[in-house]
Amino acid sequence: MEVKILSTKFDIENAHLIDVAKSHGAYQTLDKLFSMTPEDVINEVKDSGLRGRGGAGFPAGVKWSFLPKDLDKPTYLAVNSDESEPATFKDRYILVKDPHLMIEGIIICCYAIGCHDAYIYIRGEYTSQVKALQRAIDEAYEAGYLGETVDGKDFRLDVTVHRGAGAYVCGEETALLESIEGKKGQPRSKPPFPAVVGLYECPTIINNVQTIASLPFIIQEGADAYKAHGTEKSCGTHLFGISGHVEKPGMYELPLGLPLMEVLEKVAGGVWKGRKLKGVIPGGSSTPVLTPEEAKTVNLDYESMAEHKTMFGSGGIVVLDETVDIVKLVENLIYFYHHESCGQCTPCREGLGWMLKIVKKLLAGEGSMADIDLLVELCDNIEMKTVCVLSAACTMPVRSYLNKFRHEFEAYVSDAAS
Amino acid sequence: MAEMVKLFVNGQEVEVESGKNLIDALKVVGIEIPHFCYHPALGADGNCRMCLVGIEDGRPPLVPACKTPAQEGMKVQLDAEHIKKIQRDVLEFELINHPVDCPVCDQAGECALQDYYMNYSLDDSRMRVDQVTKGKRMDFGSGVVHDQERCVLCGRCVRFTRQITKTGELGIVNRTDAARVSIFPGRPLNNRYALNIVEICPVGAMTSSDFRFKQRVWFLKKDPGICHGCSRGCNIYIDHHQEKYKDDVIYRYRARTNLNVNGYFICDPGRLSYAGENQNRQTTTVVDGSIIGFDEGIEALRERLDRARKPLMLISPDCSLEQMWAVKRIAALYGADLSGYSDSYVVEGDGDDYLINDDKAANRRGLELLDIDFSREQFIADLQHTDLLVNFNNDLFFGGVDEELKALLDKTQSIAVCSHQLPVYESAAVLLPTASYSEYGGTIVNEDYVLQRFEKSLFKNQDPKDILEITRLLGGAIIDASHAWPGIRQSVASLADIDPEAIPAEGINLQNSEDTDVGA
Repeated sequence: MEVKILSTKFDIENAHLIDVAKSHGAYQTLDKLFSMTPEDVINEVKDSGLRGRGGAGFPAGVKWSFLPKDLDKPTYLAVNSDESEPATFKDRYILVKDPHLMIEGIIICCYAIGCHDAYIYIRGEYTSQVKALQRAIDEAYEAGYLGETVDGKDFRLDVTVHRGAGAYVCGEETALLESIEGKKGQPRSKPPFPAVVGLYECPTIINNVQTIASLPFIIQEGADAYKAHGTEKSCGTHLFGISGHVEKPGMYELPLGLPLMEVLEKVAGGVWKGRKLKGVIPGGSSTPVLTPEEAKTVNLDYESMAEHKTMFGSGGIVVLDETVDIVKLVENLIYFYHHESCGQCTPCREGLGWMLKIVKKLLAGEGSMADIDLLVELCDNIEMKTVCVLSAACTMPVRSYLNKFRHEFEAYVSDAAS
Repeated sequence: MAEMVKLFVNGQEVEVESGKNLIDALKVVGIEIPHFCYHPALGADGNCRMCLVGIEDGRPPLVPACKTPAQEGMKVQLDAEHIKKIQRDVLEFELINHPVDCPVCDQAGECALQDYYMNYSLDDSRMRVDQVTKGKRMDFGSGVVHDQERCVLCGRCVRFTRQITKTGELGIVNRTDAARVSIFPGRPLNNRYALNIVEICPVGAMTSSDFRFKQRVWFLKKDPGICHGCSRGCNIYIDHHQEKYKDDVIYRYRARTNLNVNGYFICDPGRLSYAGENQNRQTTTVVDGSIIGFDEGIEALRERLDRARKPLMLISPDCSLEQMWAVKRIAALYGADLSGYSDSYVVEGDGDDYLINDDKAANRRGLELLDIDFSREQFIADLQHTDLLVNFNNDLFFGGVDEELKALLDKTQSIAVCSHQLPVYESAAVLLPTASYSEYGGTIVNEDYVLQRFEKSLFKNQDPKDILEITRLLGGAIIDASHAWPGIRQSVASLADIDPEAIPAEGINLQNSEDTDVGA
């Protein structure tokens, strides 16, 4: 089931070192790349159907084509390496095991969009990963793949690593830009969108690490080769991080479109310790939960997930067994989003705090049925009324737990009454 | 002339200025969109979410009005059920952690939360868990007191210190509902416009220690006026109240918007100069040390003027055009020299590049336009030859005692027609009380030659006569302020076409110069 497009070098010792990486194919796309026009490259990427791997799934090539032409301003690339979505741990593999793959992807993207200054925004908590990354970048400069010329071609490219300081909200693209600019990581209102007004008010493309790392294969082998994997609308492969109550948690590269349960059974060894499945979080904590019934019919692609009223997300699959206390899980979830709220806008700042206190009240045995109804209503009142979607990242999954596991919440109420 | 577009609000067609944000555009046609964080001087922030409106067939269908420019054919939904629910919900979120301080909060009666709650919500509280608690009664410096619990984190105060004063003392620290406005340790608010923050704060999070607990705002009568603190002539509101058995007293000044003169704000010294109107007033008539009646005082003054061989009249640069004209006429009547000497009013280097001017005289341009000499040489020369100085409210010792003048004044018989008890009048044989600027109406011209009009605001128990009335009592021909204008029009070319009844709120630029635009 597993394929190797992104993870080709993950098992090769020292593949993070440039010489080893090169001997296994790193930077070999560059000649072909520079023989194409930037327009060609954008079209190839569009044709490949590559969708943003950060969670939103927006077609990458289409995003690039939003850049205004003939603007008197530089274009920037910001690689989103904030990776803070709970249950997501794929990008760190790339950063540590095959950073040159990403650097090569950065070169491809920058050539396509006409960018000469790229920023990698890496979460502050990735202290060892940032060292590995910077080492790889230094190697790339030394080898002439970055700097005044790229591989001898007349194209300047500088890559700057910018460390975050511990905020999930800085994974939101506009908050990420604010942070790079030295300001508080608070999201901006959209419109205007970063492709027009982005970093330093210049056109900017923000792409996830994995999206960028997918580019060398697409350029080398072509869009068709990429489309050979996955489904018609969800092309290619993804680094799925499977965690939770499974026998073999880990990071697995798989084509999109496989049935979820088949993957859980065959790749991750099924629910651990012979327990029963209670639910599956399909793509990071921000995605609505799936019941075992729903999990049986869903495939790991954007369309199937949408049909099941959840999201493909970041590929962070969390398996929940029968011992999971859903109410405590929800408390943990809301605790996270409340803690990470930037505090800028009213509904998220005040609302998430309120929701957390209500859940705690339930857990303490002091809650009522009305409290459960209130939680559901607050999800509606907060969602989509805010500057960014962090609030929705909390309310959408919480609503799904309240709907699908309401009896567990009610059990806390009955206990108090009795 | 701005380009207008037609759009729909709740199905009704209205005509508004194209490109203006919906809050401002619809305000002009009398439609309110509730908001906290937007302010015309500070721009839109988009964080409060109170101004969310629906756009039918719009992409997106829900937008913050502060960031949405008015476009032709736009269909704005304001009264729709889902929008009204959003307004109630946003208010609920603002209120769950808001302390119910209304009974002890200065903002009551002019509080956006109160007003919006009454107009858009009236829902019962559903908050049954502990509120977030933060700092209260925090001294932020410059007379500003901050209450972090009342704060709705609209960010106006932070944007004010960054965009307007460019001093950056305030910031919002912490994430999530621990967020609060703060100052750097040991670095309080330290600029001469800090009290504007109290005004722009939509709730009682920023209050003035000067005004704290002094008066409930619904008792205040709010009259438009013009600050006389310097030659900028910032527009203000004079908020005053007469308690039972007491006198009409001013409690505070607030800024009044005039994009032609001061923009949206006023300076702190000017704002606090209201106290000067209340304090230290000359209320009694005194002749040679004895208190007498006002009419007797007028008689005494008239008598001395008649006896004087070469009287000298000195007029304050704060006087209105009409008062200056009346004194000019009466100087001619009594054969007196006339001076407006007031170098003391110029405090070199005190002004800044925003609203504060070096010249603390409110109407020096009036002296100029009416051709009243205000040179020191002429005044000293006249003072040396006069046998009677009649000082109409001119504080020659404004910045400090002028020793050379004091020596001359001590040797000269003088009469002071004054509004305040000041050292400069101590040597006067006769003291007559007169009205200060909040107690009469008139016109003044600011440093940039903007002509502005103000009306009488205060009606004191013993309503002092203003200088113009006193000239009339001395036999002058000018009966009242409007009576001064035929003469003024004839005498001053740039005022020839002015109808004082028809001066617009933003004033008239006598020089038509673009330098008069403040913008902020």
